[in-house]
Amino acid sequence: MKVDVRSLFRHETVLAILAVLTLAVLAHQHEAFFTADNLLNQGRLAAELGLVSLTMTFVIVTGGIDLSVGSILGLGAILVGVFWKNLGLPLPLAMVLTVLVGGLAGLGNGLIITRFRVPPLIATLATLALYRGLAEGISKSRSVRGYPEWFFRLGQGDVAGVPTQVWILAAAALLAAVVLGRTTFGRATYALGANETAARFSGVAVDRTKLLIYTGSGLASGLAAVIFVSRVSTTRSDMGTGLELDAVTAVVLGGTSIFGGRGTIVGTVLGLVLIQALRNGLALAGVKGDGTIVVIGAVLILAILVSNFVGREGDG
Amino acid sequence: MELPARSVKRDRLARLASAYGQELVVLGAVLVLMAVVGTVNHRFLSDTNLNSVFSGNAYIAVAAIGMSMVIITGNIDVSVGALIGVLATIAGTLATRGYPVWLAWGVPLVVGMAVNAAVGVLVAYARIPAIVVTLGVLSILRGGLISATGGKWITDLPPAFRAAQARLFGVPSPVYVAAVLTVLAALWMRYSSLGRAIYAVGGNAEAARAAGIRTRAMVVFVFAVHGFFAGIASVLFATQLQVIQSTVPPNLELSIITASVIGGVSILGGTGTVIGSTLAALLFSEIASALIFLNVSAYWLRAVLGLLILGTVLADMARRRRKGRLAP
Amino acid sequence: MRRVRSVLVLLLAAAAVRAQAAGWTGGDELPTNPLPCQGAAGAEKAKPYDGGKPTNPPNLKGKKITVVDVPKLIGIGYFNATSKGIADAAKELGNVDAKTDGPTQANIDQQITFIDNYITSGVNGILFAANDPVAISPVLKKALGKGIHVVGYDANSEPGAREWFVNQAEFNGIAKSLLDNMAKEIGEDGAFAIVTSTFTTPNQARWISEMSAYAQKCHPKMKWLETVEAQEDNNLSFQQANTLINKYGDQLKGLFGMTSVATPAAAEAVTQANKCGKVAVVGLATPNAMKPYVNKDCVKSVVLWNPVDLGYAAMYVLRAVTDGTLKPGAKEVKAGKLGELKVVNGSEILLGPPFVYNKGNINNFDF
Repeated sequence: MKVDVRSLFRHETVLAILAVLTLAVLAHQHEAFFTADNLLNQGRLAAELGLVSLTMTFVIVTGGIDLSVGSILGLGAILVGVFWKNLGLPLPLAMVLTVLVGGLAGLGNGLIITRFRVPPLIATLATLALYRGLAEGISKSRSVRGYPEWFFRLGQGDVAGVPTQVWILAAAALLAAVVLGRTTFGRATYALGANETAARFSGVAVDRTKLLIYTGSGLASGLAAVIFVSRVSTTRSDMGTGLELDAVTAVVLGGTSIFGGRGTIVGTVLGLVLIQALRNGLALAGVKGDGTIVVIGAVLILAILVSNFVGREGDG
Repeated sequence: MELPARSVKRDRLARLASAYGQELVVLGAVLVLMAVVGTVNHRFLSDTNLNSVFSGNAYIAVAAIGMSMVIITGNIDVSVGALIGVLATIAGTLATRGYPVWLAWGVPLVVGMAVNAAVGVLVAYARIPAIVVTLGVLSILRGGLISATGGKWITDLPPAFRAAQARLFGVPSPVYVAAVLTVLAALWMRYSSLGRAIYAVGGNAEAARAAGIRTRAMVVFVFAVHGFFAGIASVLFATQLQVIQSTVPPNLELSIITASVIGGVSILGGTGTVIGSTLAALLFSEIASALIFLNVSAYWLRAVLGLLILGTVLADMARRRRKGRLAP
Repeated sequence: MRRVRSVLVLLLAAAAVRAQAAGWTGGDELPTNPLPCQGAAGAEKAKPYDGGKPTNPPNLKGKKITVVDVPKLIGIGYFNATSKGIADAAKELGNVDAKTDGPTQANIDQQITFIDNYITSGVNGILFAANDPVAISPVLKKALGKGIHVVGYDANSEPGAREWFVNQAEFNGIAKSLLDNMAKEIGEDGAFAIVTSTFTTPNQARWISEMSAYAQKCHPKMKWLETVEAQEDNNLSFQQANTLINKYGDQLKGLFGMTSVATPAAAEAVTQANKCGKVAVVGLATPNAMKPYVNKDCVKSVVLWNPVDLGYAAMYVLRAVTDGTLKPGAKEVKAGKLGELKVVNGSEILLGPPFVYNKGNINNFDF
């Protein structure tokens, strides 16, 4: 345990230094970068990715992965419209139901993984196609628009000067950090990620933990869907495409090991900040879209390379 | 007591069936689908349609050969789609700039090997997990491709370049290429010591090392071979049409990975064959065509495809459980 | 396992019911307005200006401005062409610094982020082609709120989110042109199929709806067979077109390609199936991609507009609006070498009649 904390600390230190350096360089490139207005706006744009990355941390700490989060977001997005317009339910109920259906989709993932013992990569690869397909089929590719004004306060409005969804993201991050770092559930998550067989023999409820984690991932995607629809005022079945790889990148950048057993929420948040800062800062500095993706890819590899070099023995 | 000869043969057959279980399931699905759709619309079995079905995904089958090897060693590569896009652009650019065709076909193979060997080094020696390295490489290649081409398509490819699509006895060359490469690779992996070492590295790296296999060098080697196959796939891909898009084909890596997995390669490493992945690539092409022939509502195509993938995976897991082994 | 299999069968059976012929698959079920079968449309009745207005835009009349062009995606021939037009216009004008930047996939999430970043970086003008008319509007309104001029082309947003929209041609005009050309090639009772990008792409969905309405009105005996999706992927479009040709055999007389990716792929499928002259290919495409087929007489004509002109016009409109020479309520605007362009529908600027590329002229173009 002591060695783990120390080595983890080293990765996060590296990451924190990298993040600070990056912010400094980018702030120097354009005066609009490091302003409250811009930073809060970036928070608004990153809320959906942020929520999904928080739960993805849990998933990857258990040694698994969830590639279906983007598809669950797409499914959730069109369901908001379907529940509200086609089924005539009141909008608040539609929103809640959407989040619940997201959880159900995540539960489906969890069942396939625990009951049928399908490896998470394959299970969520299949549900990535299935859930997206359901989104396309149910919506028949129609968009639903015309929501009441109050709905947009969630995605486009502010509370006390800070975008609404940033409050939600902050609360979620706090909750996730507490659960992962300080509860029995969190310890069980680390244990089963480090060595599943040993954890099972020590009495950890491995299957139940996994089910809860994948359901949580689905719930986060459902919530992200509602926020996204509110932010852009319409629903589309192709929303959230590519979200999963972005989330995995943020989590891995944050120091969570893809083999399981190590990782923190703080790391994920730092990873998220770094990626969003790069996307925004590079664009402001005049780098076009293609250049930005190259930089992010390079940063990912370099960050892990450096922290491997500076820190522990290495994995595997 | 001596076993009667017939039951010995039956035993050997049974072992063969169990060793190649998933491959047989996929083959069965291919044949069943042909029969079912063929009765609904006989044109599904026409020469032209079968040619399209068999050759359409040939480049995916070839790429899946390399991907299967990588997965068998316990790694993965999510950047192969981007790599194929880049290599196809290189091939097309060389061809339109007047370089000889063999160069236009050959350079992608070399570049593919070099890029992936570098990936292999990062994975094996710098100990960065494969998914992380290839996630980064995916971004770098995607952005790099747009930067290099400015988004322009490559048109006016010389006809000699497209000879890779020529037909032999009425069957398009990619089909032969995929078939021959699959058989050669399968034989190599089963009967050569280097090929078998790949399974050893994926099955139990410690034991392999103890047995004297240089596991880290093997990983680099396997990634390089994977790059070679990606290069061949990119030539098949680039010659399919008369234009080459400068964007990376979306979801190509997912198709390739899914083909390997459905074909029986275990994501945990150590088992599976390239025959399975080639058959699976064929199955996907067939399903895409079949769904249109069966008049499945276009809005539900992807849902049905997802369900089929899920069904196959669950069936495979159930089959392994029945054998008394949990997922390896 | 058995349960899984039966669920599979049920879903397959349910999905086997094809979308009903209320409209063709791929249309968007919004109200249509088919043109008369013979002759041109009647006079347009003038609509009041319904575009948005920037808040306190700085006075940049005659001064140098920075403009960003954010198309649906980069990396396809069509938007390479519009980008070229924008760059040409910027060079002619001499006081515009224009660049094109956008997502590598036709993804509204990413497009919004691109536009948002450019708002923060302080551009003076934004040109766009929207992946979704409603989803893009909040971020465009934000741009207007910061005093940035916003002009759209090719794919519209909500009218209040931009000042002007340069339309290549009316939806019903395109539908009429496509169908009339197909009818000319395959006859009044020919059967055809459609290859489109995705059912969620607004322009394509509008065109398909208008085509369905116009066909019902003016070519009632032509038979629509089916619509297939192929994203913006060349190879997938090719495979889908192949499947259609194989499925319908001799019954299929024509293929519509609804995007600049689908049409060359469909032409290639027809060529490789040795059906040039037997299956007509009509659709939207850029000339370079179609040259091999038009020059071999496999494709008779490519009905389109000139995307380079579209981008060129959009840039001139943005300059005019920045300089204050184009005001709400104007009836026409001068767009460089294109001359005077008409204002229709309140805040739309019409590029002109569709342009037809054929063997006679296609080699004069290089995009």
